[in-house]
Amino acid sequence: MKTYNDLEYLRLSKGQKFLYRLVSFFAAIPVALKNGCLGIGRFFKNLAAAIGRELADIVLTFKNGDWKTRLSFLIMGFGSMARGQVLRGLLFLLFEAVFIFYMIMGGGHWLSLLSSLGRIGPHDEYSAVLDAYTKVYGDNSFKILLYGVLTIFFIIALVYTWRLNIKQNKIAEDILRSGKKLRSGKEDLKSMVDDQFHKTLLALPLTGIILFTVMPIIFMVLVAFTNYDGSHDGYNNALFTWVGLKNFRTMLTWSGSGVNYSATFGEILTWTLIWAFFATFTNYFLGMFVAMMINKKGIYLKKLWRTVLVLTIAIPQFISLLYVSKMFAKNGIVNGLLLDLGWITQAIDFMGSQANNALLPRVMVILINIWVGIPYLMLITTGILMNIPADLYESSRIDGANAWQQYTKITLPYMLFITGPYLLTSFTNNINNFNVIYLLTGGAPTNAAASGAAGSVGYTDLLITWLFKITMGAESQYYMASVIGILVFLVVAIISLVVYNVLPSIKNEEDFQ
Amino acid sequence: MSNKRHMGLRASAHISNTLIYIVLVVMSVVWLIPFICIVLQSFRVESTWQVGYVIPQKWGWDNYVALWNSDFKRWYLNTFITALATAVGQTVFVLCMSYTLSRFRFKMRQGLMRFMLVLGMFPNMLAMIVLYRVLKDLGLTQANAVPGLILVYIASSGMGYYVSKGFFDTIPKSLDEAARVDGATRAQVLWKIILPLAKPIVIYTILTAFMAPWGDFVLARYISFGTSAGMNVAVGMYSWLQQDMIGQRYTMFCAGGVVVAIPVTILFMCLQKYYVEGVTGGAVKG
Amino acid sequence: MASVKLTKVKKVYDNNVVAVHDFDLDIKDKEFIVFVGPSGCGKSTTLRMIAGLEDISDGTVEIDGEVVNDLQPKDRNIAMVFQNYALYPHMTVFDNIAFSLRLQKMPEDQIYEKVTAAAEVLGITDYLLRKPRALSGGQRQRVAIGRAMVRNSKVFLMDEPLSNLDAKLRNQMRAEIILLRQKLNTTFIYVTHDQTEAMTLGDRIVIMKDGYIQQVGTPAEVFEMPKNLFVAEFIGAPKMNVMRTQLKREGEGYVVTPFGVKLAVDGGKSQELAAKHAPTGEVLLGVRPEHITLAREGQPGAIPCTVEVNEMMGSELHLHVVTEDGTRLIVRVPTIDLEPDQRHGLQRDSRLYITFRGKVMHFFDPESQENLLN
Repeated sequence: MKTYNDLEYLRLSKGQKFLYRLVSFFAAIPVALKNGCLGIGRFFKNLAAAIGRELADIVLTFKNGDWKTRLSFLIMGFGSMARGQVLRGLLFLLFEAVFIFYMIMGGGHWLSLLSSLGRIGPHDEYSAVLDAYTKVYGDNSFKILLYGVLTIFFIIALVYTWRLNIKQNKIAEDILRSGKKLRSGKEDLKSMVDDQFHKTLLALPLTGIILFTVMPIIFMVLVAFTNYDGSHDGYNNALFTWVGLKNFRTMLTWSGSGVNYSATFGEILTWTLIWAFFATFTNYFLGMFVAMMINKKGIYLKKLWRTVLVLTIAIPQFISLLYVSKMFAKNGIVNGLLLDLGWITQAIDFMGSQANNALLPRVMVILINIWVGIPYLMLITTGILMNIPADLYESSRIDGANAWQQYTKITLPYMLFITGPYLLTSFTNNINNFNVIYLLTGGAPTNAAASGAAGSVGYTDLLITWLFKITMGAESQYYMASVIGILVFLVVAIISLVVYNVLPSIKNEEDFQ
Repeated sequence: MSNKRHMGLRASAHISNTLIYIVLVVMSVVWLIPFICIVLQSFRVESTWQVGYVIPQKWGWDNYVALWNSDFKRWYLNTFITALATAVGQTVFVLCMSYTLSRFRFKMRQGLMRFMLVLGMFPNMLAMIVLYRVLKDLGLTQANAVPGLILVYIASSGMGYYVSKGFFDTIPKSLDEAARVDGATRAQVLWKIILPLAKPIVIYTILTAFMAPWGDFVLARYISFGTSAGMNVAVGMYSWLQQDMIGQRYTMFCAGGVVVAIPVTILFMCLQKYYVEGVTGGAVKG
Repeated sequence: MASVKLTKVKKVYDNNVVAVHDFDLDIKDKEFIVFVGPSGCGKSTTLRMIAGLEDISDGTVEIDGEVVNDLQPKDRNIAMVFQNYALYPHMTVFDNIAFSLRLQKMPEDQIYEKVTAAAEVLGITDYLLRKPRALSGGQRQRVAIGRAMVRNSKVFLMDEPLSNLDAKLRNQMRAEIILLRQKLNTTFIYVTHDQTEAMTLGDRIVIMKDGYIQQVGTPAEVFEMPKNLFVAEFIGAPKMNVMRTQLKREGEGYVVTPFGVKLAVDGGKSQELAAKHAPTGEVLLGVRPEHITLAREGQPGAIPCTVEVNEMMGSELHLHVVTEDGTRLIVRVPTIDLEPDQRHGLQRDSRLYITFRGKVMHFFDPESQENLLN
């Protein structure tokens, strides 16, 4: 692609400029992707280098250290205690003790079974007492996987703590050698609310995130490589085990007949993206439009209009969405009203719980989402609109711009610049907008063509509601849900990566900062 | 000439303003109608199923009385307790996280923020399956769903640090520095200087944390798992609108909706100012 | 009440940008030191390292003989005034000033004594119950100073405290800082980008550029004997005129030949040059605008030029003139001696003659830009 310098660019005609920018935008996508991949590569390279440095430092510490330091390699915290930092040393020692206790009490067991996810499943066993075969339960695959992951986490934590303990020894030796005094336990405690305050603050939130977000996600990502489902629940009916990439193959390869996951996935992904696009941009522009109407000079009762809209934010969504879905039901108020007025002779199936018409329900969910979203966008854009410097408008008026030109040349670029990141998050949130779809249509109408796939798929289903349905269904193909989850992550990650890397180049042209 | 032009300007402004008023009135009606309908239907006593008209033929409190005699009380209490606990816990977590990320420059800061960004790209529905099983092992599901829900709501809430970090970033760093020179520890800086100045964002965080449990449906449904005693209002009332129940419970749903909406709406309206500040700031900061 | 000693202090940021290179300085007890330089020269960074607000990458900072590198700001016993005042917006003026005393757990009646006394000195007694928002810029600055004053700290740090004020208020506050200093009688370290502030306030001035100290000296020293061209141009306003010329030996002394006009370097300077074995040949000749005088046509050493801009400052005129080879110079002419018809001759485009004496010349090496008399 030909690139222009600034002066050449200025000489292009309007159409050429637009074309050039469009082409540049798309040309930037591969570069952005490449940079993203390179970044990941760099990350691993740096990681390897860092590990190398750490190892070298550990060896050096052992070589140069005194006996207290060397003993600390085995008994964590020994050096600290021997040098008078009892509190630190005890904490290290306590962690080591807890770790050893955990490994003996179960951790080792879980870890050893992790590769097979359990050897003995539930089976019938003859009991001499009862003189009958009774069901005996064996290993629990679910627990093995869960506690196996937990144990790996624990081991990583131990390695880190062990490293910290060695570093402590080295630092302590250096300090003592330079003739200074070590921090006492009391000073350590004091520093927790001062120079180490950030660690204190982060401790709880990060523990929460690791236990309740990171661990479950890792677990579920692993589930995608197993056959964990309703009939292999890992304990009551059968064990589940590793199956490699089989589930991804099921999801992504095109099979002509039978269960055709890839076609279903493609269909739902397309609708998900269409939905996210419309849900984001209709709300954005209409919300901005409403905000501008209310903000216009000469409009009275501004506060009243805003309050009416904001009121709808306050009411929990499940009430308003469920109620609205019932309003549009076949025997709902809207149909009743239209029938009474004689405008229609037969009730319209807006939400398509029965009909096979995909378009009307899809349009309806987008429209109702506008109803839900405009108040938020009105609030957000009002604040930003009022922050646009008035002199921009004044100078553009002197330059002879009309209202439409002011909007396209000043308001819109300013808004897009300020809210660019917000639009991105809003788009990705809409990809995962479970509530609106599930509460409005529940995915209906049913997509008969996709009946082969798990979790009765409907035309308004998003990937996320499909995922939910799979887990709730009778078969509960958790592994399929997990595959979908991973694919959703990939879609969101790629979109974010591209937009983040391409966005700055658009931003520069409209720099308002 | 100039006089005529002047008149033209004013006339066109008049027309456009009239148009805007018409649009705004129509919008207000469209936005309010569902809520007006809900309130009216909740007083309908002649039938309990969906009907094609809005104004009840017979008015009465029957639906509210029925509500009082149903499990709704329990659900309401469950939700209220959850919301209260979440409001406290989540606020503490979010403020710890966002203040740290805004004010401290430590080695892993950038990495941590990027990590949480990537983590947020996973659909959190995935985690629910595991969380359900873990909570079940801990005995925190079904009838005991409330503490389980609270735990899950609070535990990961640190990831939602974005809006309040944006707010903290707008408080000049020199205030922290001045206080530190004046003899304050970092903890005292947070407590005596930053928190009093961050009142709007604290209220915003409390408000959003308090409101979220009223609308949460998916996780709450998972964890209560069909046990009425552990349900929140959203899960409980959702079941009323299913095929088998809607005939008897539709008007009760409307009444329940009113009972749920009133306190939340009043609270929201009182603290609206802070909500608007938080939402706007959050969008600007991205 | 304390000395401050910086030894090989260095600041390297995470992105490997070096903000301050090997900074060595001994600040004596009760001295008023000014760090001055253009923005980005590292002066504020150095001050913040002394305060403990930035980590010290290398070297040591000592206050009163104690190495404070690892001490938190609160443990260094310093007071600091910030550029944007950094008043706590949610506290009244009284509470702002009392904040540090309350952290020290001082009894309330003692706090009352100290705060009101400081307010008295600064003339802000009437505003004690107001919030900072309700104060003017000058009043806020006074509160910020008051907050620092009540602490009886060892060292008083000021980071561009006057740069947010308008010109008139700045002059007034500058005088007040001099008075304050006499009252407090403690060690001051003051950062500014304004050379006037540096000259009027400092016992000694530290001139910095790109993280390096250029010169340390009393105001008179840096003005009369700038170590290099940067210092020469930075100190003094309008800035020093610099012209490329030849330095030659002539008999006992030296001469220069700017614009083809021969000017003698006077005896004292010549002897100094000779003592330093200053090389002859091309040099950069610096002359301050106030040292150039008007001359008559035909007068020896008269340089012909044309007026380009005439700025009337009241007590003096700033003439921007162009010599015949296109060099631009600035000349300061006191108005008190000018007759009306003479003034007319200084209008735009008029031709005139200027000259300067050998005593006021500064010579710099064209390569290293160092003063030849170093």
